[in-house]
Amino acid sequence: MNSSLRCWKTVRTMKTLGIDIGSLNVKAIVLGDEGVIGTGIGPPGDDIEAGARSVLELATRQAGLNSDSLPSVATGVGAKLVSITPQQKSITTCLARGARYMFPTVRLVIDMGAESTTVIKVNERGRLADWANHDKCASGTGLFLEQMAKLMNLPLEQMAKLSLQAKGRADISNTCAVFAESEVISHVHRDPPTPMEDIAAGIYYSVVSRIISLCKRVGIEKDIVITGGMALNEGLVNIMEQELGCEVLKPEAPQTIAALGAAIIARENAEKGIKT
Amino acid sequence: MTTAEHKSDVDTLVRMYRMLARMNRSRPEARGSQTLYFNLLAEYYTRVSNAHRDGKLLAAHTVFFPTEILYAMDIVPMHTEMTTWLHALFLREQAELLAKGAELGLAPEICSPHRGVAGIFAMDAIPHPDVILWSNLICDNTAKAGELMMELSNSPGFFLDNPFQDSPGEMDYLVGELEEMVHFLEEKSGRKMDWNKLSEMIEHTDREIELYREISELRKAVPSPMSIVGYLELLSADYMFPGQPEALQYLTLLRDELKETIQEGKGAVSQERFRLMTLFVPPMYMISSLGNLFEEKGAVSVVEPMFTRWSEGKLDPDRPLESVAKKSFLIPERRSMYGPLSQQALQDITDSAEQYKIDGAIYWAFMGCRHTCATIKVMKDLLNEIDIPMLTIDCDIVDPTITSEEEVRDKLEQFFEMLEDR
Repeated sequence: MNSSLRCWKTVRTMKTLGIDIGSLNVKAIVLGDEGVIGTGIGPPGDDIEAGARSVLELATRQAGLNSDSLPSVATGVGAKLVSITPQQKSITTCLARGARYMFPTVRLVIDMGAESTTVIKVNERGRLADWANHDKCASGTGLFLEQMAKLMNLPLEQMAKLSLQAKGRADISNTCAVFAESEVISHVHRDPPTPMEDIAAGIYYSVVSRIISLCKRVGIEKDIVITGGMALNEGLVNIMEQELGCEVLKPEAPQTIAALGAAIIARENAEKGIKT
Repeated sequence: MTTAEHKSDVDTLVRMYRMLARMNRSRPEARGSQTLYFNLLAEYYTRVSNAHRDGKLLAAHTVFFPTEILYAMDIVPMHTEMTTWLHALFLREQAELLAKGAELGLAPEICSPHRGVAGIFAMDAIPHPDVILWSNLICDNTAKAGELMMELSNSPGFFLDNPFQDSPGEMDYLVGELEEMVHFLEEKSGRKMDWNKLSEMIEHTDREIELYREISELRKAVPSPMSIVGYLELLSADYMFPGQPEALQYLTLLRDELKETIQEGKGAVSQERFRLMTLFVPPMYMISSLGNLFEEKGAVSVVEPMFTRWSEGKLDPDRPLESVAKKSFLIPERRSMYGPLSQQALQDITDSAEQYKIDGAIYWAFMGCRHTCATIKVMKDLLNEIDIPMLTIDCDIVDPTITSEEEVRDKLEQFFEMLEDR
């Protein structure tokens, strides 16, 4: 066998690890030739290093591997806080790679996490072309939705289902989470009260309208992929599709796409001979 | 606060700059031009501090004010925005200055240098100015700042009305305004304008503008020889010492150093990887950490079309007042920040992108400068058309509470990663 073939074989049998350390959850992906072979999700806990390592163990155990031997890349808000790997990449680059892997036609990624929302424009080669994020106020984030559900005394899943039955939308501020909260309280207590399903739809609309304006900053282009934990919320996705006027593509495990992108980059690094 | 205490505030700036110059002298790698720049600022504030002792009129003036006229009349200028920035930087008084501005009813959305200027006057933290001079160049905030300064200092003032457009009629109008201002200053200072001295300064200013252009040309080199710190020095040289022999000396030395750096095949950063266009100015309080990040990432700001690209035109020492008026139409900031956004400003951006071989642009979206932020979309679209990505960073020049250093660093790192990945 000549050396280039040996090299190719080494790469093709490579398994890599991507880890996304978010503010509410740590996500880990083990990527093999056949695709994702291990997944782990769990809270970072008080000790981020330990929390990240236990999630990583989950993913590698599922893949039947030992994490120490895998080339890896970390991303997310906590990537710099752990010593798992010296290789770090920004969440935007990882999301672009991960979304492209799942949906080769992607041109826009809407990532809705616990504490921030980011929209990412992907070029025709699947590379990050531009991005915009909303990180100044909790309105428009997953934590905001959790807070609103608590305020309405509903589990998040039920609030989502309720919104699908709405006949109208309550007006809720999209510029400030605190103002939005007082508006929801006023809708609940007014006489007659605003129907709960309309309040739920109004809450989702306030989040979506904010995200749509972010999308316009980078340019709305199909196909659109939605990622992050909030993509699991059907009420939100429903209103998002209504406002965008098109269907959005949703990966099976939307909260793991950045980790998947990190694993892809770890593979690319290994192919280039970059030690990870 | 007593007069002695005022003096000590400005004297702190003098001491800081003298110390920086001394430190530079002991560092072999330090630029001689930077050492000179520190000394010039020390001398500037020494003149401010000693103005009353020396029997000179002290004139507080806003940004882009034609200080050649003041120097020619032996009046000591005190640049209000720069002095506020420097107080904020060196005396770490941002919070106090801005809080004082807030006490006067200035909301956080108002331009922070002007909130700070109001604060510095309210705190009585600078020597008492004998006159207040202000204009509408470069914005409506500047136009409004003067009255408050007059009220707070109880000093007489003069408002210089700058027209938007460069036409013969408007040029005549501006010359008339300048004549009126000269009469005002003659009356307040008891000194006559020295027209020969003004002519001499115009000759210097014209040469300085030429040097700015030469420096801009040199920065086209790959690798580019000047750091982002040098960019801010360049700005203040014209803001504070226009027409002065020391400004000529500084710019000449800087130009020669850049030439030498290019000849040696060196650049501003050890390994140039990303050539950047800077739109507007980065936060002053971050300038040192930005310098370090740029070095780490191999990024260099090679061109700032909004701030360092002077319009075409020459000044005529035989027509000094007309030349002062003309200079206000040549300053780079005018094309994008004052009046309608000119086609020339947009052309400058696309030309610069090509001539300087830029990889990306960073727009420092200073939230207090709303009229300039209105150009973000136009500039981004323009650059995207020629496949140059532009990063917009919401920030404040003076107030670190608007955006954290960590957030700015994260965004820059993402941007560099994107440039690398393209």
